[in-house]
Amino acid sequence: MIDNGLLVQMLLGALLGLSVYLPLAAGQLSLATPAFYAVGGTLAALLSTRWRALGATAGGGFPVPSLLLELLLGGLLAGVLALLVGRLVLRLRGIYLAIATIALVEIVRVAILNLPFTGGAIGIFSIPQPFSEASGYLLMALLLLALAGGLCHRLEAMPMGRAMAAIRDDELAAACMGIDTTRVKLTAFVLSAMVAGSSGALAAHFLNTWNARQGSFDVSVTTLAFVILGGSRTWLGPVLGGLLLTALPELLRPVGDVRLVLFGLVILLGPVLAPQGLITPALLERLGGAGREPASREDHP
Amino acid sequence: MSAAATASSAATAPLLEVQELSCRFGGLLALDRVSVAVQPGEIFGLIGPNGAGKTTLFNLISGLTPPSGGTVLWRGEAITALPPHRRNRLGLARTFQNLRLFDGLSVLENLLVALQPRSRNSSLDGLLGSARFHRAERLRRETAWQLLDELGLTALAEREAGTLAYGDRRRLEMARALATGPSLLLLDEPAAGLNPAEKEQLCALIQQLRQRHQLTVLIIEHHVPLLMRLCDRMAVLDFGRRIALGSPEQIRHDPRVIEAYLGSGPQGAGEATA
Repeated sequence: MIDNGLLVQMLLGALLGLSVYLPLAAGQLSLATPAFYAVGGTLAALLSTRWRALGATAGGGFPVPSLLLELLLGGLLAGVLALLVGRLVLRLRGIYLAIATIALVEIVRVAILNLPFTGGAIGIFSIPQPFSEASGYLLMALLLLALAGGLCHRLEAMPMGRAMAAIRDDELAAACMGIDTTRVKLTAFVLSAMVAGSSGALAAHFLNTWNARQGSFDVSVTTLAFVILGGSRTWLGPVLGGLLLTALPELLRPVGDVRLVLFGLVILLGPVLAPQGLITPALLERLGGAGREPASREDHP
Repeated sequence: MSAAATASSAATAPLLEVQELSCRFGGLLALDRVSVAVQPGEIFGLIGPNGAGKTTLFNLISGLTPPSGGTVLWRGEAITALPPHRRNRLGLARTFQNLRLFDGLSVLENLLVALQPRSRNSSLDGLLGSARFHRAERLRRETAWQLLDELGLTALAEREAGTLAYGDRRRLEMARALATGPSLLLLDEPAAGLNPAEKEQLCALIQQLRQRHQLTVLIIEHHVPLLMRLCDRMAVLDFGRRIALGSPEQIRHDPRVIEAYLGSGPQGAGEATA
């Protein structure tokens, strides 16, 4: 029932979940993930179809090192965009930040739709394939997820991650304790964009075609649902949420367009039934204390 | 009056000085050209009726609210334009009247957050888990445990801050402020909600901490007898104006203070002289 193709989509879902989680871990509700995903995907689609030096073959093949380069560039471009935009929008708090980031998603979508070189409504198609089988993409997606997940895991035990958690609890108090809140929020925002940008670059090749619809407001809502269902207190939450909610509609194919209703329901019912999401620090502690550093006097480096 | 007070205490340079500080919220003038200088090492009390502008003054000093006019000087340099985190790193830490802990973090983590801006190791060190990072982290934990010891919170180290009892939360907030390594500690009603025995303990604790950490303390407190005993000097605010400044003894007998607290009238004036 679950083939490799679906697994790749699930892993991409998990990556986008992490992208929404990162700013949220610093208390910032950003819905900009689809914008950065679209930017990464469009860059990869353009580079691989237009730039011969990357080595796309006539038969539609593509060298793997070039793909890796695109993942890097997609992440970097998204990161730079986040750095520029973040300085501006991260001054906003709460729902106002969410609205501003929705605007960013729309601006990027309309830009991709109307720019002379992005293929308009049809988009860019026949994107060359680095792998002939879905298993290659699966490996690549796993690699990306391991990188992003590893980063989030390290963050939780690092000053940066602790500062993010402090800002989530009380931004003013954090500032009064010497934490440069602007810098911490901006870092989380840029990391989030880089994860989304790289994921977009991989998705463009995997999907074979890329257009403006890939980064729409719908994706903002679905990716937010990943985090709400999975839980935003540890990075494992959005990963699980992304995997589950990407698989569900595929497994419930007959439901079709009701999918969005389903996501809406999750966003509505999630906080009621499981206020902290499926994966909470308490759950991890019961499962063997993987989530939190023990507060022991002895330190084991 | 203001100039005379400053001149009389100008033997040493003030650690913190606010000059002609004003703050306007729409039509309300919360602070009206208030000037105060705090000398290094002293415990300076700030009293006044509700709404007198005490907390507003704290917010202006710590950088949470921009002033409408006036200057904040730190060791003689203007810091009026600095954001709160920069002021904290200069050595200015505060607690909050209505307790603002990081409720989702453990007691220990609350202190670790406050300790980390002091140690300058890069994020790259942390990502790679370098030896330098582990050294800094170990040092932070040692300091955090010391502070927990000092404030009697050791047994609660692993508890989530949001689950603590009220008195423990008050002490944790002081520990967190101390963790930033301040030279000036701003305490906003630290005795609020404490019973008389706890108030006594707090009084002793503040004096103890001042000695051990070489602190200057600026304290807002409604419990005037406690403050009279604790403070070297005091200032009284009323409707955003500084109406008195001096030693507790001088404040006790200042007719304007008595008027602000008890209202004007022959009885009030009579008690002041009695």
